[in-house]
This record gives sequence, C-alpha cells and structure tokens, in this order.
Amino acid sequence: MRPLARIILTMLARPAMALAITGVMVLYTLLYLWLTGDIAGGGAGGWNATFPAWERAFQSRGPFQFEPVGLVSMGALVWTFSPLNTVLAATMGLLVGLNAVAGWWLWRSPRQCGLGGSSTGLLALIPAFLAGGACCAPLILIWLGLPIAGALVGVAPVLVPVAVLLLLLGLWFSLQRLARGEGLT
Amino acid sequence: MTPHIARYSTLSIALAMLFTQPTLASPPGQHPPQVPVMHSIEAFREAVRSGGPGKDGIPSIDRPRFQAADQATLSDGDKVIGVYHRGQARVYPQRILVWHEIVNDELGGDALSITYCPLTGTALGFKRGDTEFGVSGKLVNSNLVMYDRATDSEWPQILGVAIDGPLANQGLEEFRVFWTTWGAWKARHPETEVLTEQTGFVRNYRRDPYGSYNPVTGYYAPDSRRLFPVMQRDDRFPPKTVVFGVRGPEGALAITRESLRNEGVIDVVLDERRYTIIHDPGLDTGWAFHNPEAVEIQAAELTFTAAGVTGPGIASLEAVNGFEAMWFAWAAFYPDTYLYEGQEVP
Repeated sequence: MRPLARIILTMLARPAMALAITGVMVLYTLLYLWLTGDIAGGGAGGWNATFPAWERAFQSRGPFQFEPVGLVSMGALVWTFSPLNTVLAATMGLLVGLNAVAGWWLWRSPRQCGLGGSSTGLLALIPAFLAGGACCAPLILIWLGLPIAGALVGVAPVLVPVAVLLLLLGLWFSLQRLARGEGLT
Repeated sequence: MTPHIARYSTLSIALAMLFTQPTLASPPGQHPPQVPVMHSIEAFREAVRSGGPGKDGIPSIDRPRFQAADQATLSDGDKVIGVYHRGQARVYPQRILVWHEIVNDELGGDALSITYCPLTGTALGFKRGDTEFGVSGKLVNSNLVMYDRATDSEWPQILGVAIDGPLANQGLEEFRVFWTTWGAWKARHPETEVLTEQTGFVRNYRRDPYGSYNPVTGYYAPDSRRLFPVMQRDDRFPPKTVVFGVRGPEGALAITRESLRNEGVIDVVLDERRYTIIHDPGLDTGWAFHNPEAVEIQAAELTFTAAGVTGPGIASLEAVNGFEAMWFAWAAFYPDTYLYEGQEVP
C-alpha cells in the first residue's frame, strides 16, 4: 500500500494535478448535490443562511440521504445543507478527481513503458456520475419524462456503494500501474 | 421482607416499567369499510412497492404552526388544501405538503390528519384518534401508503382501508378537505389560519420537486406520464386529467371537471342509489350527496357559505365525501368506476 500512497502524495504535490483533483472534486460535489436536490432553484435573491435543525444531522431520509440541518440561500439558488450528504459527495468527488488525474497520467505516459493508453480510470468515472443522480433517479426521470423511474427505485440503494467500490478499484489499478513505472514519468 | 426479596421486587417493577410500552389507541375505524375495495387485499399487498425514501423519510408534520391569512406569502393561484371543521378554517399550502404529505393536526378539539399525495394529486382527511399517521415510503398505484403509529398497519390514502398489519380490512373515518386555490379559499374563509414553514424540518419550500401547479408543468401536466406501474390501466383520458371522485358502498363514481362546471348539478344513479353532485363555483370543486328521496336541486337557487352549500332541498340530502384525483390513479383503484362525462355523451 505504501507505494500507492506515495503516488497519491506525488500527485497532490504537483500543483497542476492538485488543482485538477480539487477542481473535479468541487464540480462533482456540486453536481451530486444538484442531482440529489440539496442544491436547487427557488431562491428569492440575496444571501441568507439559517441552521435551525442541527439535531437532525444523522437522521436518514432514504438510502445515503440525510436530513438537512440548515438552509443557505444564494441568489436564485437554495442549498438545504446536510453535513453528511456533503461529506459523502465530497468523498466521491475526491475519488473521481484522483481517478481522472491518475487515468490522465497513465494515458500520457510513454507507451513503451506498458503504461500508456489505459482507460481503466476513465471507465470508473461512469458509475460515479450515475451514482450522483441515483438517490433521486425518479426526480431526474421526471424531468426527462421517462416512465422507468419506478423500476430504478429498487436499485438506487446499491448505486452509491457500487460506485464507491468501482472508483476504489479503478484507482487501485491505475495507481498500481503507475507504481510499476514509477521514476519513468 | 428480607433485603434480597425487596431488591428483586424493586428490580421486577423497574423491568416491568421498562418493557411496558405506552399503548396508543388505533385510529377510529369502520369494519367493514364504508368504501368499495375493488381489488383483493392480497392483490394490493403484491402491488405495493418502494417509492424511494424510507419510512418517515418524507416526514409528517406533527407539531404544525399557523399564521393569520394576512401574514401568508401565497399567490392567489397557489394550490392549497383547506379544512373547515367545527367552525374553524385552516389551510395547508401544497408547496409545504408536497414535502411532508401528512399533517397530524388538532382542529375544534378533534385529532385529524390532513394527507396529500403529490403523485396522484389527492388530498384526504382522516380522523386519527390518539395516534398519528406517518409516511411509510411505499406506494400502491403511485399513491401514498400511510402507516399508523399505534399498530403500524398500512393504509393506501385513496383506498382509506388498511391492506396490511393488525387493522387489515378496516376502513378509516374520513372528513372533507378541499383542493382549491389560495385566492378562492381566502375569499370563502377570510379568517382562515395558514400552515407556516416552521415545520421543524429544513426544506426548500419554494420549489416543488415534481413540477408546478401555478402554472401547471412537469409531472402535474395532464399529458405527462405516470412514474410507477398501476394495477389497472385506463387510457380514456390523459393520465393526470383531474376528475372528481365519489365512493359509496356499491361502487365508485368519477365526474369530469368540465361536466361538473358546465352542468352545476349532476344526478347519477349507481346501483339504485341516487347521488347528487353540486358544483361550487367559488372553490371550483364538488359537494357530493346521497339523495334517497330523489329531490330535484336547482343550481340557481343555491348559496355557498363557509359551512357549505345551502338552498331548497339540501336539508334532505346526506353528505358523502368526495375529492379530486388524477384519472390514472382513480381508475387503478376503481377499475369498475362509473364515469360521468356530461349529458351529451351517451
């Protein structure tokens, strides 16, 4: 495990890679919160924040969905803030960011090292993005006008764990291949 | 008494107190139910499916707070669910109830649950006794399945009859609630109290996750598709077309809103039982009555007050509950429903 951790530290130590990972993480977190409905329209303009329900922080609403504790209005947007939903989104965002950058690094590596052309990391992004909308799949399908929402509800509880597992596997494969070629890039 | 006997006695009493749960009374029920059940209870159980959120994932409002009508920030066209009970009017904005579906309230000294299912567009009131109703997270025919917190029995809202749990096959006592607009309700009940956003939960009450009623868009649009499978499909109307539904011991009756608006008073005989449905132009809804003496009611002679409809002949009628529903849901629960589309249609 130590070589893999060293690769991650190397990635984070390079400003361009750290910036890319952070950027992907922030974008993914916002997208996840938007798709699951924590961030939505309905704001009346201006800035306002109230946190009246801290006692509900650990109260579950559904699979991997927790009660909001506060309401943040930002212009036209409203964020019903749940600490656990945000931590979950950011953790998945970090994994997506690491996968994306590790995948890009592998892809850019010289082919003769046997490292180039890998799409493992990039493939792992698909379930991660799906998981972002999984918790509220029916609502998304309402927007799209698709009648299969009912069928998807049954699989929603497993999408987040499956996405995390696939992201971890994808990252592990990418990091292993990078570790094998360490010092060559 | 030796010390160890005293000790064991104290321990036994303490344990007994620990394990004795306070017994909550079941909701007041009707056995057999006074409403039709057109599928078997087993068929209903098999048709139940998860709606996504878990039990109480959509939290009922158990400590509702109210404000005066002039303090409410509602537009006249906003949909509301109104109740007039023992001389007291209260109104529950649809944009709050869409996030909670059930309000466990007390009105005029009675314990009442005001329930709303966004997926079927139905608002119904039930007497709850000493218990409360909660949202089970399950659906049948897209309709909210409630559970009572005394026995955990499961009650589809439109059916009003338990399909699972200790109270299976028992019906609930209903009371009339009104699906109307804020402007119409305020005009009829200027002294009404309005449910506030201080629900004890944080929700984005400015946004409806399914669409909008003012104007009608998204899931609520008549032609939009339903989301979940139904026990019986009926394509005579677009799925979300609103009908006014009435149930009696012998069956169910659906009336199109156009025919109700156009005709003002509609008489329908269902298995030798005569019903009279009167259109209320103020609230744009129907008042349903059993009319055993076949009294002729003239729309022009009627007056609509806070307490209801008055006029010649009304005193001899018996009020029956009625409510608006999306057609697909009504037809799924009541596949043999009588459908009234107007006089010109045979």
